[in-house]
Amino acid sequence: MAARDFYEILGVSRSASQDEIQRAYRKLARKYHPDVNKDPEAEERFKETSEAYDVLSDPDTRKRYDAFGADFRQVPEGVDPQTWRRAREYEGAGARGAGTGFGDSGPGGGFRYTSTSADDIDFDDLLGGIFGGRGRREWGPIPGADQEAELALTVEEAYRGGKRSVTLGGAGGERRFDVNIPAGVVDGQRIRLAGQGGRGSSGANAGDLYLRVRIKLHPRYRVDGRDVSFTLPLTPWEAALGASIPVETPGGQSTIKVPAGTSSGRRLRLRGQGLPNPRGASGDAFAEVQIMVPTKLTKEEKRLFEQLAGTSKFDPRKRR
Amino acid sequence: MRYVLARPVQVDLETFARGVRMHPDMVLRLVSLGLIDSEQDSSGALWFAPSQFAQVARIQRLRAGFSLNYAALGLVLDLLDRVSALEAAARSRQGRTGVSTWT
Repeated sequence: MAARDFYEILGVSRSASQDEIQRAYRKLARKYHPDVNKDPEAEERFKETSEAYDVLSDPDTRKRYDAFGADFRQVPEGVDPQTWRRAREYEGAGARGAGTGFGDSGPGGGFRYTSTSADDIDFDDLLGGIFGGRGRREWGPIPGADQEAELALTVEEAYRGGKRSVTLGGAGGERRFDVNIPAGVVDGQRIRLAGQGGRGSSGANAGDLYLRVRIKLHPRYRVDGRDVSFTLPLTPWEAALGASIPVETPGGQSTIKVPAGTSSGRRLRLRGQGLPNPRGASGDAFAEVQIMVPTKLTKEEKRLFEQLAGTSKFDPRKRR
Repeated sequence: MRYVLARPVQVDLETFARGVRMHPDMVLRLVSLGLIDSEQDSSGALWFAPSQFAQVARIQRLRAGFSLNYAALGLVLDLLDRVSALEAAARSRQGRTGVSTWT
């Protein structure tokens, strides 16, 4: 991966004043500081922002960066930028493998030129980690911050638990975790991956990574804690006469007994058929009754409904 | 019935200071500024819960990242905690209703 331009990282032009550079850095630091932004990817952004600021905030280092680009750390003091550029062009023209040409002029003469690119530099060694940069080395090693990422699960996945592969960005590139999800996790619960959070500086311990469970919206189920509700459409005769209706719950097929005389809005409980609880009673499933009528009636249906209308004395709007 | 002694998991000032690589005086300063919590026993010695190690690391990172003074650090820590609590409450409200609201 090519090193990103420090000006680009800070979002300033190459002619930016020191004030502008500081302002840009402060804004980005507030956005990506690992204690403000718990996203695992923020750590890398904060680190590169700090590196860019470390270089560009010092007028001397900035001059060297402008002159030599990403390789400026490898160029000894007093090297003429033009000579350096020519050396780079020479290598680019195919001098690789020929002992690199330049730089073998021995001690005291010229400079040593190697083909090491900025990608090979360990900035942690150079800068002492995220927080150990120039002018900020007040404490020794600082442990890394805890990070948080969202783990979206379907209601069924939360019910069953099981293994899940999670890929997250981070300071060291993409990382893949095989996470064991306990059966019956609920919305907002966190799964802790010890030592997988932000890296500590100068060899200090890394923080922890927390995967915060979010139960995805489901076309049928509404989840509140461990209780699961769903709508149960009924025909008028099922509602009036009572019925046993097969229903789908997160745990599988179940049968619900609708008592005779059930109206819309009634909640019928299926005890213990919500999300399981590893440390206690499982949640309940609730079927919310909604009485449906056919949009178009057949002749026979119409006749029977008319007969019912003529016979029945039931008035749901009558004041009791 | 037999009872088991439940020893609180806490460390003394010296152990805590060594653990966070700080001079004990500096730890005392953080305590007196109310930035970290400690308990005092009957002899007046201070004891620290394991959670305070992470709290000191947080203080170090924030101070190093923003050049904050200690008074400002207390405020920033409190505000970050409040933001976290509010975000968690908002998420849980959103999860219950299943509707994303603008508030």
